[in-house]
Amino acid sequence: MSRAVPAAVVAAVRRSVSQVCDPEYPEVTIAELGILERVSSTDGGSTVRIELVPTMLGCPALDVIARDATDAARAACAGADISIEVAFVDSPVWTPDRIAPSAVDFLAREYSVAVRRRSANASCPICGGTALEHRSDFGPTPCRSVEWCPQCRNPVEVVGRVEFPAATGAAQSSPAAMGAAQSSPVPA
Amino acid sequence: MNDMGEPERVTAIEPTGDPADVPGARDLVLALADDELCIGQNLGWWIAVGPFLEEDLALTSISQDELGHARALYGLLGDDIDAMAYGREPYEYLCAHITELPCHDWAETLVRHFLYDTAESVRWGALADSSWESLGAVARRALAEERSHLRHATGLLDRLLRTDAGIAHLLPLFDQLAPMACGLFDAPSGCSDEALVAAGVMACELGNQRAQWQDIVGEALAPAGYQPQWAVADPEAAPLGGRAGRRSPHFAALHAEMVEVLSIDPSARW
Ligand SMILES: [Zn+2]
Repeated sequence: MSRAVPAAVVAAVRRSVSQVCDPEYPEVTIAELGILERVSSTDGGSTVRIELVPTMLGCPALDVIARDATDAARAACAGADISIEVAFVDSPVWTPDRIAPSAVDFLAREYSVAVRRRSANASCPICGGTALEHRSDFGPTPCRSVEWCPQCRNPVEVVGRVEFPAATGAAQSSPAAMGAAQSSPVPA
Repeated sequence: MNDMGEPERVTAIEPTGDPADVPGARDLVLALADDELCIGQNLGWWIAVGPFLEEDLALTSISQDELGHARALYGLLGDDIDAMAYGREPYEYLCAHITELPCHDWAETLVRHFLYDTAESVRWGALADSSWESLGAVARRALAEERSHLRHATGLLDRLLRTDAGIAHLLPLFDQLAPMACGLFDAPSGCSDEALVAAGVMACELGNQRAQWQDIVGEALAPAGYQPQWAVADPEAAPLGGRAGRRSPHFAALHAEMVEVLSIDPSARW
């Protein structure tokens, strides 16, 4: 009978992986961005499985995030005979609603990047105006669109270009996923 | 692994077994992945040379999305994605010929982009509820990303077709590219789309998807008083058969560009 990975090790891995930062925003963690979904021991075996939720299928940062998460997990269980498995899962689907409120504030303050969540209107990170006008779906990264704030006359980058499918199941259990279960309008 | 005390597994009686094993299912996914790979690579050509900055960003963002879709699709077939994307012989690729066209003229890129992304929206829709569950998940995800591609293509096309210059420039390109785009709905050799529909891998047959797509394209062009001709004018001059492994003359250069770094250093990593 094989031994399960001790809960303390799983917790240590979870703590360590939670601190991994996004390559795009090096001060914001993948936990705050809602990319880290779950850390668990699998099969009652000697494996710790880390489940990540990709923001966009073509996001070039995915490989870097997976590598950094693996390194962080290895560091947390150094010396122990434990294998690490990192997987990008199909479900739940990432939406901007998975970004923690603290990270939304940070992105606005430090990057002048707004976040469009289903639970709230996106507001201008410069002046707080809420009447943003859509300009282009395609901004400097695949997950940011370009809008315009008529109040302060600045262009604003907004995370949330893609109309995400309605999130299901496990998304609701994620602390950063408040509101993610609301369905999005799906054009026919 | 401890197998003591594990409840006896009850295998559901499934007439078809694993949907991925339905003959032709993997070939279809490979064909779609190859389409995405070639389109993504070709759109990437526009980096820094788009006609205006926003268009530069749009085409290259779309390129990145399509390459991401290719990666997700190859990932359904195996772990060594680079080997599948770059390491096959030309006759092993199953992409439709329209995806291989360089389209270094922006109007040509726009027309191909419109034809391709409308086709994709139909295709992903037919796969969104696939009995091959991980394929369905990729399709739903891609469908969401696809909406901004469609908005981009249709937005530009609508505006340009309201001008005489746009009509004069774009409509002849539809004459040229629409018949070729029909190849996006060809079945790979040996792939029975009836079997795929029966097994729930796809919601409807490729011919049915092609008809849905032709309706969408026809409707978009009707305000300009134009009806696309779908038949290939001269099959001798432009033999299709991309899905059968026949490569167009553009493939060799495209493939050489894709594997340029890899052929200098096979161990290269980002
Ligand atoms: Zn403002």
